[in-house]
Amino acid sequence: MSQAGAVKAKADATASVFARSRPRYGELVIRASLVIAALITVLTTVGIVFALASETISFLGEVPLHDFLFGTTWSPLFEPPSYGVIPLVTGTLLTTAIGMIVGIPLGVGSAIYLSEYATSRTRKFFKPILETLAGVPTVVFGYFALTVVTPWLRKIGIEVDAFNALSGGLVIGILIVPTIASISEDALSAVPQGLREASFGLGAGRFQTSLRVVVPAAFSGIIASIVLGASRAIGETMVVLLAAGQRPNLTLDVREPVETMATFIAATGKGDIPTGSLDYKTIFAVGALLFVMTFILNIISTWVVNRYREEYE
Amino acid sequence: MSPAHDDSTGTSTMDADANTPSPSHEPVHMQTPALNEHMTPKPEAAEKIFELTDVSVRYSGKLAVKDVTVGIGTKQITALIGASGCGKSTLLRCLNRMNDLIPGATVDGSVKYRGQDLYASNVDPVQVRKRIGMVFQKPNPFPKSIYDNIAFGPRVLGMNKDRNLDEIVENALTRASLWDEVKDRLDESAIGMSGGQQQRLCIARTIATNPQVILMDEPCSALDPISTSRIEDLMNELKEQFTIVVVTHNMQQAARVSDMTAYFTVEVAEDDKRYGRLVEFAETETIFTNPSDQRTEDYVTGKVG
Amino acid sequence: MNAGKRNARDAALAGAAVEQSLAADHIPPASRKMLWRERIFKALLIVSLLVGMAVLAILVIDVLSDGLGTLNLSFLTSFPSAFPKNAGIESAITGSLWLMAICAFFVIPVGVAAAIYLEEFADRRRWWNRLIELNIQNLAAVPSIVYGILGLAYLVRGPLDLGRTVLAGGLTLGLLVLPVVVISSREALRAVPGSIREGAMGLGATRWQAIWYQVLPAAIPGISTGAILSLSRAIGETAPLIMVGAATFIAFNPTGLNSAFTALPLQIYNWLSSPQAEFKILAASAIIVLLMMLVAINSVAIIIRNRYEKKW
Repeated sequence: MSQAGAVKAKADATASVFARSRPRYGELVIRASLVIAALITVLTTVGIVFALASETISFLGEVPLHDFLFGTTWSPLFEPPSYGVIPLVTGTLLTTAIGMIVGIPLGVGSAIYLSEYATSRTRKFFKPILETLAGVPTVVFGYFALTVVTPWLRKIGIEVDAFNALSGGLVIGILIVPTIASISEDALSAVPQGLREASFGLGAGRFQTSLRVVVPAAFSGIIASIVLGASRAIGETMVVLLAAGQRPNLTLDVREPVETMATFIAATGKGDIPTGSLDYKTIFAVGALLFVMTFILNIISTWVVNRYREEYE
Repeated sequence: MSPAHDDSTGTSTMDADANTPSPSHEPVHMQTPALNEHMTPKPEAAEKIFELTDVSVRYSGKLAVKDVTVGIGTKQITALIGASGCGKSTLLRCLNRMNDLIPGATVDGSVKYRGQDLYASNVDPVQVRKRIGMVFQKPNPFPKSIYDNIAFGPRVLGMNKDRNLDEIVENALTRASLWDEVKDRLDESAIGMSGGQQQRLCIARTIATNPQVILMDEPCSALDPISTSRIEDLMNELKEQFTIVVVTHNMQQAARVSDMTAYFTVEVAEDDKRYGRLVEFAETETIFTNPSDQRTEDYVTGKVG
Repeated sequence: MNAGKRNARDAALAGAAVEQSLAADHIPPASRKMLWRERIFKALLIVSLLVGMAVLAILVIDVLSDGLGTLNLSFLTSFPSAFPKNAGIESAITGSLWLMAICAFFVIPVGVAAAIYLEEFADRRRWWNRLIELNIQNLAAVPSIVYGILGLAYLVRGPLDLGRTVLAGGLTLGLLVLPVVVISSREALRAVPGSIREGAMGLGATRWQAIWYQVLPAAIPGISTGAILSLSRAIGETAPLIMVGAATFIAFNPTGLNSAFTALPLQIYNWLSSPQAEFKILAASAIIVLLMMLVAINSVAIIIRNRYEKKW
């Protein structure tokens, strides 16, 4: 530190009263432990990447990359086994897509209401509800999908299987509403008040001001919230595990059961599979794919959010 | 001196609009005299477009400005001056119901626009703001292209159904004497313009919606002297067609551009709460040369801040 | 400018002016079309908020109506059983409490220390500090199942080889909520005004003394609120515990760090995936208990926040 350096220089030159009595070893130790704590977070990422990469490379030694990424049959337990990940990816994308169709309008709509319409009283009422929704454990949402949503779908005449992509996807949609709503609301609230005043001053109504001025100005933040919501939907495990079943199914029919990447990992990890077996390695290979997909989405979202924060600050 | 306009509005508005300066029209450069000497109707004679009676504004119960009674003449520039905290901006925002947007703001007394109570229950604030536009202290262009900034108002008001949007944009920019500077870069973002250009864009944006009145809330306070003088010139041109009410903390500006001036001051109530009051409202020349109230004289001669 | 265009424009302007002058004297009430558009838009926005609220309400009502009947003292004090009427959640509750304790013991010191480093010492101009920040933001969004893989590979097996123990489970959950604790602690530290630091250092305190005696005490309400909320997230997690191999049929309470364990969300998952309808009802009862634990934990956080939070 320059400050300490300056003090030291003076001490050398004049041996003045400002000389440091003794090196502050205690502070150094404390500082070192703080750095180590910060490094644990880095180590976590390194650990994840290293674990996934090493086992995946070993997996790819036994299953060619092309067969893994582009094969359309996933049946590791059959004889002969097949390791085409496409059905898991489509299963994931199907439940995610349903989730986004539900989650985007509800999340962005909630955010616009909270930021542009709500009085401080209605905010005090609605914000805790969103926070509570965010705090509900995913296994409870899984219960909801399985025992409430699926029977309802049948009641209204949608002939879904007992396990199906639709109810899982719908509940994932509810699950990501708080994520999308809170980040979108931050972005909308960051739009300078002057733009709203300008719009109202020109005779625009609240509806026009919200949709034509505020939403476009906050667009990058809203996109970031949606990307992060998609990342959560892709990685969501329990809802799909409980409600959508575990059948690797290359289909777009939302009434059928599907298996997603996350549910495959959980269902396989549950059993006592021996370390080093090919089954063990499949967990890591699928995990690596899942990690890469969510990682890319997270980075995009973080980048966009950090950028618009800098713009307004 | 007889009124230059016959203020039986219908025809005069039409004339004014039909005589709109064309793009080739050179902006008139004024040599900004100490006092406004343009051909204007004698202030007292102008028809009143706003009649305020005992107007008080409170924010969440806290008094901001008290008991203002004042009439604002059509096609004049009226300046509201006074120290900060005197309620002049608050009062300005009553005139197009911008205060509605602040939670807890209440307006007592009557604000009449051409005889109609602006705060009557059946009056839509959005319709009010269509007729009474506003220009703000800090230039606040939308983060869109120059063209889209001007076109925003006409689009949301549905004006583009019977008029060509390009014409509206060109006309508004021309009237704000901005056309020549920006005609080749209408698609560029308004954020890249200089502060003075941005403010003229904001004025052009307001003109494009064809309001009757333009309210300006310290429009030059964020600008350099050259930009300020351009805006002042612009205000004098716009007076031909619009009624302008301007809040300013710059006394010279009030003296240069306005026909009428209202001087506000801060009063301290017994419980130490501060609120604004109207001290004197008169022709600008009177306010600056022969004010009837000692407080006004102290303010305009610089004895108090 | 050509004459034709000019005339056309003048005509257009004149037309507009007539329209305007007719309308100018009287301000009409809001147009019906505008009014309806505003109403419908606002109604849609409110509906979008109400959907979330309705889901919560239906969820709670459904869980209560299914699960309240079997929720009694013997359910709370029995161990899992193959027979629904004997089955209970004692080992699941104790397992969850152990997990929470281990998680807290690991994540609070590490998370707060990392936050202090980033907020008080790190120079943001250095690329590695920015990288640590970016990394934490990203970790917060890594799917929980991936943490389960990490726990399986490095804690249960691999280098640490802790086995399927409550320690491995607690540490896995600790890593999962670490970014949340760091982020919320940083916010709490940031809320302490710089004048406090300057005041302490101006009196001759070292940087660390200023932090330890002035900044940290002032930030403790905020830090504890964040830490408690992250623990409530940890005990609701299921997927990582599936991976680290918590069993569900554990008829004893954890006896130590190396004990096998189960946990409430896991027990719920297990009962839900059983085909017998009676077990689904037990799952509802267990959900009531889990939700009540979460409400209790969150209430503590809210009380701390309301009582101790300073407005600077």
